[in-house]
Amino acid sequence: MVLVVALAAMAGLAALAPILARLMGRNAGYVLAAGFVAIAAVLGTVGPAVLAGETPTASWPWLPHFGVSLTLRLDGLSALFCVLVLGVGALILGYCPRYLRPEHHHRSIYFQLTAFGGGMLGLVLAGDLVLLYVFWELTSVLSFFLIGSVGARGNAPALRALLVTTTGGLALLTAIVLVSVRLGTTDLTEVLAARNQLLGLPLGDAVAALLILAAFTKSAQAPFSFWLPGAMVAITPVSAYLHAATMVKAGIYLLLRFTTVYAGQPGWSFTLMAVGLVTAIVGALRALREHDLKSLLAYSTVSQLGLLVAAIGVGTTVALAAAVLHTFAHALFKATLFMLVGIIDREAGSRDLRQISGLRRVMPVTATLTGLASLSLAGVAPMIGFVSKESLFQGFASATVFPGAGAVAAALAVFASALTFAYGVRLLYGAFAGPTMQRTLYEPSWLFLAPAAVAAGASAVLGPGVVVLNPLMHRAILDVEPWGTPPSFQLWHGFSLELALSGLTIALGTVLFVARARVDRTLRHLPEDRGAQRFEVFYSALIRFGTALARTDHRRTTWPYLARPVVGLVLLAGAGLGVATGLPGTYPAPRALDWGVVGLLVAAAITVVLMRTTLASVAALGSVGLLVTTWFITAGAPDVALTLLLVEILTAVVAAFALRGLPARLAPVHRSGAVGAGVLAGLAGLAAAGGTFALTGRRGLSPAGEYYLDAAEEATGGRNVVNTILVDFRGLDTFGEISVLASVALGLTLLFAGARPVAGRPAPYEPLLGPAQRLLAPIIVTLALYLLVRGHDQPGGGFIAALVAGMAVALGALSGGGRFRVARGLRTAPLIAAGLLICAGVGLAALVAGQAFLTPLKGPFGLSTSLLFDAGVFLLVLGVMVTAINRFSLAEGFTP
Amino acid sequence: MTAAIAVGVLVAAGVFLILRRSLVRVAFGFILLGHAVNLLLMAAGGLGRREPPILGPDGPTTPADPLPQAFVLTAIVISFGTTVYLLGLARAQRRGDQDEKPGPGP
Repeated sequence: MVLVVALAAMAGLAALAPILARLMGRNAGYVLAAGFVAIAAVLGTVGPAVLAGETPTASWPWLPHFGVSLTLRLDGLSALFCVLVLGVGALILGYCPRYLRPEHHHRSIYFQLTAFGGGMLGLVLAGDLVLLYVFWELTSVLSFFLIGSVGARGNAPALRALLVTTTGGLALLTAIVLVSVRLGTTDLTEVLAARNQLLGLPLGDAVAALLILAAFTKSAQAPFSFWLPGAMVAITPVSAYLHAATMVKAGIYLLLRFTTVYAGQPGWSFTLMAVGLVTAIVGALRALREHDLKSLLAYSTVSQLGLLVAAIGVGTTVALAAAVLHTFAHALFKATLFMLVGIIDREAGSRDLRQISGLRRVMPVTATLTGLASLSLAGVAPMIGFVSKESLFQGFASATVFPGAGAVAAALAVFASALTFAYGVRLLYGAFAGPTMQRTLYEPSWLFLAPAAVAAGASAVLGPGVVVLNPLMHRAILDVEPWGTPPSFQLWHGFSLELALSGLTIALGTVLFVARARVDRTLRHLPEDRGAQRFEVFYSALIRFGTALARTDHRRTTWPYLARPVVGLVLLAGAGLGVATGLPGTYPAPRALDWGVVGLLVAAAITVVLMRTTLASVAALGSVGLLVTTWFITAGAPDVALTLLLVEILTAVVAAFALRGLPARLAPVHRSGAVGAGVLAGLAGLAAAGGTFALTGRRGLSPAGEYYLDAAEEATGGRNVVNTILVDFRGLDTFGEISVLASVALGLTLLFAGARPVAGRPAPYEPLLGPAQRLLAPIIVTLALYLLVRGHDQPGGGFIAALVAGMAVALGALSGGGRFRVARGLRTAPLIAAGLLICAGVGLAALVAGQAFLTPLKGPFGLSTSLLFDAGVFLLVLGVMVTAINRFSLAEGFTP
Repeated sequence: MTAAIAVGVLVAAGVFLILRRSLVRVAFGFILLGHAVNLLLMAAGGLGRREPPILGPDGPTTPADPLPQAFVLTAIVISFGTTVYLLGLARAQRRGDQDEKPGPGP
């Protein structure tokens, strides 16, 4: 419960942030910082329980079919990260008010920072992998916005950061899906407990690789580290909070979590150690070369994250303990250093390392704090950085992934740390020694310094007082490796190997510092960090590829799209020809009439293609329709034939209206295009004929057809089996189909949205059709209603009745030319809505009665709700008819 | 056999028309393709049994398969909707067949 309250409070705080910022301006940061502290206090109420080994959990079902739930849990490791997220968050928000300038967008910055805090808190509290993923992506997105909020120069770095981290996010999601498929659950506790099921399978390796990819992108490991230095364009509080203390630690958190599963696996160990140590050394070399303080700190962060990843890779309890402690120590000293750089930056001073020398004379307090944090960074006693650095050495020395791994890893770590010491001492030197270069600098107000002072003080105090952290660290380590015996941290543990390594580091680092002129010259040969440029090249190539790929889809004509499925059809038929065996041997003998109908049909179809004028084409098309109708009659389908006959007439009417404004002659067909189209058409025709021949040889009644013929009368009370299929058996199909028709009507309405009725001259035939329409319309409508009612037993039904009623509408339109407003009462929206609502209502009534959706309910006198359903179909189809005829007949003045 | 010929010719004519630039011809092509598919569906029900599937005391002895008929019936109405919409598009394009040559601009 406490967890839910804490997370909800974070969300509430984020929602409150813009309001506070509007009321209080930049000082809203103090209130938000207090909020962070309060939420930390709320979580602290379960602190003793967590330290005692309990795991407070809250869970609600979310997607039960996939074993996904909304679960929050707080164990030692989560608690440690909660301390970081909320503690550093409070310091940063307390730092913001004096840092932000009036022209900054306080509201969005405060909202995004607070929401980010909530996202990170959710990430470390998530007890379900899917939930963890959601928060993971949330932090990526907020990082994107926070980097991008500095304006145009932030665009490219923000996009790079987003693309890299979300690539990792997708890898994480894939890993989660694989886990879910394998284990049937995404509950973190269960997944971590299912160690043996995950290991030893190709799937387990894939999951490990994907998790590593996710962590490496988030925690800026080689070769993805380039986004982090770029992200330094963001304002300093963002750099300190997201890109040093917390968000980049999400990858570390993920790796620590899954160490429970993968600890001691050679591939996992080796990958993490190799990449981590390479990143650590390259990052430290680049940091040593940098003179811009913020860039230096960025590369330093990359380097330190590398050490953490490598230590996690070692996988021994000692190494993990070191990683956990160093995560904490790093957050403290790096946040301090960033805040101090921000102060110097804010005072319009130079961020160039060579310019800050002699800082103590103008800014004694700032210089002291910088010195403390630098000492912790350099790993000098008695700072907490010293304790964690020594633990790291001890951890690396315990590596056993291959013989001698401990020695190699420790040596590389010592080298990276010596480089770290060297640039740490450069910071120290700049703060205290040398001539004062920037005399305009002055000590900022104590309010501005306070957050940095708290963090720097913690770095200093928690070195000697590291034992205070032991309970939390123990718990966190036990949560990662329940089988381990966590070491107890202390400042001094006698003369040991790691003390010797520390000494070596300091000696080597001092040499590097003293010989800094030479080191600088040598480092100039180090290749530039071209990661960002390489990424841009890759990214723009990808965009170009996509553009090229999509170019074929940006045509003004339709044929390039339409040709593709036809080509597919021909290829499919070709493949079918290759594998087809055993065509049905018997075919029903064609009847004499069939040949006559088909012969005329072929002639009519060819005529449609050859005709040069629109009217002739429409006439030929009508002939085709009528011949197909005849064919349906001979095939024993009166309903279908009736439907087609009516549709043909209506199509002719609509086409006559539609083609009115268009040229009477169709443009001649270009010979070049016609040959290709003709060949493709011929092949498609052959394929279709072959397919029809091959697939229609079966001669018994289909089992489904047999069932309908047998069951129709008894089950539905209807004798027209086709109609019972439409309204009783397969009502859902029909419902879907009329929905399509409804969207056609809506599309037409939109298409002709600009149309205005125009008073045209009376048509010459109007004196004849006018009275005819007045006489015939009532008869037609009566006939339509009769067909609707009898449809269940005799040819008819909703579709046919609506088409017949459409005749009355068409007749009205024809007789009135452009002036006659057809059947004023009949309008699109009410008809369509009534039709859909009635059909849906019939379906829902069945649900209410405890039946499946759209099951017809029987009433007295042999009536059933299927008639009502058919009436809904009638109204809807009539709505489509009215729309089509009205829109086309009135659209004379249509202007696109 | 007759059904196969009818379907083949309708498909060939329809495909030739939908590959034209003019939307009016495209609309005509779709009408022909619609007929072809409907014929195929009906033929799939078998052409050996050709009595209307309407039951009753003097009902059919060899009724045609009702299921394809139901499919085709709705398909006809839907293709009417498609036709009407295509004609609307052709009208919106306004110049219709004058666009046989590629138009200017993107």
